[in-house]
Amino acid sequence: MDVFFQQLVNAIVLGATYGLVALGYTMVYGIVQLINFAHGEIYMLGGFGALTTYLALPSGTPAGISLPLMLVGGIAVSVTAAVIMERFAYRPLRSAPRLAPLITAIGVSVFLQELVRNFYPHARSARNFPQLVNPDYQIRLGSNVQISAPQLLTVTVALVGMVTLSTFVRRSRTGRAMQATAQDPDTARLMGIDTDRIIVTAFVLGAALAALAGVSSGLQFGQVDFHMGFITGVKAFTAAVLGGIGNISGAVLGGFILGLVEVMATQYAPDPFSGGAWKDAWSFVVLIIVLVFRPTGLLGERVAARA
Amino acid sequence: MSVLEARAVTKRFGGLTAVKDVDLVVNEGEILGLIGPNGAGKTTFFNCLTGMETPTAGDVTYKGAPLPKRPDLITKAGVARTFQNIRLFNNMTALENVIVGRHTRTKAGVFAAVGRGPRYHREERESEQTARDLLTFVGLGRVGDELAKSLPYGDQRRLEIARALATDPGLLLLDEPTAGMNPNETAAAIDLVKGVQARGIAVVLIEHDMRFVFGLCDRVAVLVQGQKLLEGSPSEVQSDDRVIAAYLGKPTEAETAGDKQ
Repeated sequence: MDVFFQQLVNAIVLGATYGLVALGYTMVYGIVQLINFAHGEIYMLGGFGALTTYLALPSGTPAGISLPLMLVGGIAVSVTAAVIMERFAYRPLRSAPRLAPLITAIGVSVFLQELVRNFYPHARSARNFPQLVNPDYQIRLGSNVQISAPQLLTVTVALVGMVTLSTFVRRSRTGRAMQATAQDPDTARLMGIDTDRIIVTAFVLGAALAALAGVSSGLQFGQVDFHMGFITGVKAFTAAVLGGIGNISGAVLGGFILGLVEVMATQYAPDPFSGGAWKDAWSFVVLIIVLVFRPTGLLGERVAARA
Repeated sequence: MSVLEARAVTKRFGGLTAVKDVDLVVNEGEILGLIGPNGAGKTTFFNCLTGMETPTAGDVTYKGAPLPKRPDLITKAGVARTFQNIRLFNNMTALENVIVGRHTRTKAGVFAAVGRGPRYHREERESEQTARDLLTFVGLGRVGDELAKSLPYGDQRRLEIARALATDPGLLLLDEPTAGMNPNETAAAIDLVKGVQARGIAVVLIEHDMRFVFGLCDRVAVLVQGQKLLEGSPSEVQSDDRVIAAYLGKPTEAETAGDKQ
């Protein structure tokens, strides 16, 4: 039983990361119907932004100061990249057929990976990420169940981010404008909403959450890597589709379900399908099942109900 | 005093001229009817006034200043509209729809909402109060918490008007406000439009229900094949042969000749 509960903890941690990144996919899709395949790279840039911030700080800065600064640095880099990407890659294609921005997104994804690989110092292979939160510091949850400090940080950050976002979208003036733009952009404009600005806001919020995920993954695994955004991006996209793309609660739900499936399948699937080698395959099995049986996702009606 | 002045507004789509050299002046506080057969360019003209289409030529001023180019800035300047085919935010409640209309008149940004300071709360309360008042004004005071899509058709039209009024317009453009309404609803719509006028808001309405138009409007303009045929008081327009011809078609020469014999 301890193994099960330990895996449950791991699943929640993994699901939190997927959920954070999935929110970016789902928000942008909800508003401009674009699958932003470069969103995984925004997550990766968050990790590198934090690393850069750390390296810029004088050595010996206490973790209590450097960690918040790294989060800010990571968010700043991700957000800047997302804003530039929206402005120069996607906005000119706003009225083009949907395939054009989709292909562009893949292009932007490759571009950002190569940018980091070629121009970030020593980034051709994985770069070490400072272990500010001691991974050996384990908090016991049961006799043999524990959660490491970086894992706990990941879950906390993710939950705070998710709750803040959902309150923001449901309750605030800008959040309502986002919903209005998602439902009918032309009418939203006629209500005096600057929809370009709302679209940028969606990119910014998505990027900030992805950066949080990027930094916490760096802290958990002790490294960041120029192609770390690819597989996480695809998984998060799967999570968003699973929950019903365009639906904010759906992205979070999808993230946790995907984390659960992946971790539990790795542990309990019958040989020869168990173990880490099959880890990624399970996510795509889930994606295929969802696309076949419930293409709108678990909570996906709202998108289908668009006028 | 005029609220809106359109001069020689022209809109071409490729080879088709949908609106041609239309001049129109809307005076403060008046209700102006815009009539014409289907395809006369009435809705296209509205689209030109609200930034949904950019006129190919001509210019429009609102309260003396050139109309901005973007729809959101036009709304901010004070021109609001409703649609021929209702376009509400279906998955929001009636109240939320009207609150969205307050967007240009409120300020709180992302940080205010996350921080939820006193100013944010005050502004939210004010928006909600204004929205509730407007719902009551259009006669929907009791259905604020229902989803827009679940409202009956006539109520949806009223809700669209409440949402447009929430932007604090000086000019309201109504595109077929009684389309699909039964006679009772139409009668109520007359009172509603008069109520809007009483708030000091000028109204331009496109309408096919002639009794509604001639009973309500201070002036009527007729658009035929993209051009303004004439404008004048309801009685002038009603008795003009050209208007009847435009709607029913001119008798052909053969018919005319036959009549004479």
